[in-house]
Amino acid sequence: MLTNSEYITIALPKGKLFARSVELLSKVGYSAENVVEDSRKLVISNEETKVRFIITKTVDLPTYVEYGAADIGIIGKDVLLEEDKDVYELLDLKFGKCRLMLAVPEQKRREKLTDYAHLRVATKYPHSAETYFKKLGIQTEIIKLNGSIELAPIVGLSELIVDIVETGTTLRENKLSEVDVVYHATARLIANRVSFKLKFDRLNKLVEDLKKVIDEENK
Amino acid sequence: MSTKDILEIPYGTKDILPGEARAKRIMEDKIAANFTAWGYDEVATPTFEYLETFSSCVGNVTEESIKFFDRNNRTLILRSDMTTPLARMVATRLKDGDRIKRLSYIANIFRHEETQAGRQCEFGQAGVELMGAVEPEADAEVIALAITSLKKAGLDNFVVSLGHIDFLTGLMEAADLSEDTAEELKKLVLQHDAVGLEKLVDSLTMAVALKKIFKKLLFLHGGEELLKELLTTVQNEKSVSALRNLAAIYELAKAYKVEQYIRFDLSLIRDFDYYTGMVFEVYTAGMGFPICGGGRYDNMMESFGTPSPATGFAMGIDRIMLVLERQNHFSIASDWDVFVAWDKKCSQKAIAKTLALRQEGKTVKLAVEYLTEAEAVKEQKLSACKSLVYVED
Repeated sequence: MLTNSEYITIALPKGKLFARSVELLSKVGYSAENVVEDSRKLVISNEETKVRFIITKTVDLPTYVEYGAADIGIIGKDVLLEEDKDVYELLDLKFGKCRLMLAVPEQKRREKLTDYAHLRVATKYPHSAETYFKKLGIQTEIIKLNGSIELAPIVGLSELIVDIVETGTTLRENKLSEVDVVYHATARLIANRVSFKLKFDRLNKLVEDLKKVIDEENK
Repeated sequence: MSTKDILEIPYGTKDILPGEARAKRIMEDKIAANFTAWGYDEVATPTFEYLETFSSCVGNVTEESIKFFDRNNRTLILRSDMTTPLARMVATRLKDGDRIKRLSYIANIFRHEETQAGRQCEFGQAGVELMGAVEPEADAEVIALAITSLKKAGLDNFVVSLGHIDFLTGLMEAADLSEDTAEELKKLVLQHDAVGLEKLVDSLTMAVALKKIFKKLLFLHGGEELLKELLTTVQNEKSVSALRNLAAIYELAKAYKVEQYIRFDLSLIRDFDYYTGMVFEVYTAGMGFPICGGGRYDNMMESFGTPSPATGFAMGIDRIMLVLERQNHFSIASDWDVFVAWDKKCSQKAIAKTLALRQEGKTVKLAVEYLTEAEAVKEQKLSACKSLVYVED
């Protein structure tokens, strides 16, 4: 399905950004009945306001927007940096704050970053991790895992981990110590490059309206 | 080699099947005819050239280029655009003669791309270069030619985004940015990262008015009124003359009656380092990437020893085909007018009949074996012919 020029198709990510995304959009008049995370309907339309919602897996969301299957979407900056897709980044929505951290078991902590020579790093974010270490000139072996990253150093799969951290509780519980911040991330409004040009007036207004709501809330 | 290997084709390439290939040819013919009607001479260049030819211009040879060696170990490159070979050709073979040169091409280009809809490693491009003139008349001509060619190809619903390199260059000079910062800023504009751009601008010291424009930059889309508005707010000479140049091109586009397709986008700078003036891209619903792009590149010819201003564009044949297909304007033209079948011993008579039909301009398939009338009816349908002529004594 490709986006019809009358409609604005919005991709929403499953998971922790979902609820707040729906709330924010409804505040600026972009809503539909039954936009719920476990919706059985794949496409939820609002005929009146000409808005359509699709709900996607987080990592797939930038792809939907890049291809123009969705005009815009809301997604974490961490996913954007990891997936490296050709999409326009329009606005920092200032929620979903988290950071990508380099962490190590407490007893293996060393003084400086450069003290970690050739190392194995377990992560769900291989692209981001690789870019980070390349910049530092440190050779690493990146081991891509899909979850429970904290387990890797405990069982000897890797020395270090690079993982998303919100509060740091999980790291502390597993006796991991934070070494460095790879980057900070928040939720972003992204757009397809062609949709942004073809539907500029509507999208520009949406950005302006969202900006107002966010500024008001963050006062 | 196993059978499986024999049947594979390399990453990013594709077969063009019957019907599709015919439709492509018809479309290319229409575009080529339009180029000719506008006074452009078609040329062709080698599929591969020496790497040095391409690397003489900035930003041309990248990791995306497909390179290999000849038998003397000189590095060759599969052409990654057509502008460079054309510039080389003009510098070496067409130096003399008319100062104004209008050249066109339809050719395949090769680049390692992450393959996506309409983005292949080998893809067709149709384009023109107009060399020898700095006037907005030349720029307006290529833009109007791009628009009419897209219309001839069967598209109607598209938008031309028009910008100017010097608008941003002027702003950056006015802000007195260091080289590194300027590069970073350009990259953010290219990626259209409004969040990153705002952060960067906030971290710099410059006039408040300038900061405001930089932060708005990625949202500077609009019609004529946008140019007028910017002319009242932008101070530096370079940006102002860029805006005036765009206004002049727009007035000429009105004379070509194509202004309704054009929208200004002052954040447009395109992927190439070699653009020096106006730049444009064409977008249409149903395709997440531009279907056509171009601009003015006045410095490039100098690298080949024959300085000359130049402007031009290239459009993606495969992308246009994909769009037509998706917008349902594209019927795969795989049918023929007549199927000629023949009774025993009548094949010579059938040949004569076939030749006569083709003379009339009909597309004809002639049976290569004897068929009964019943078999002929079946075969006519199988071979996608609209009617049947059965030749007998």
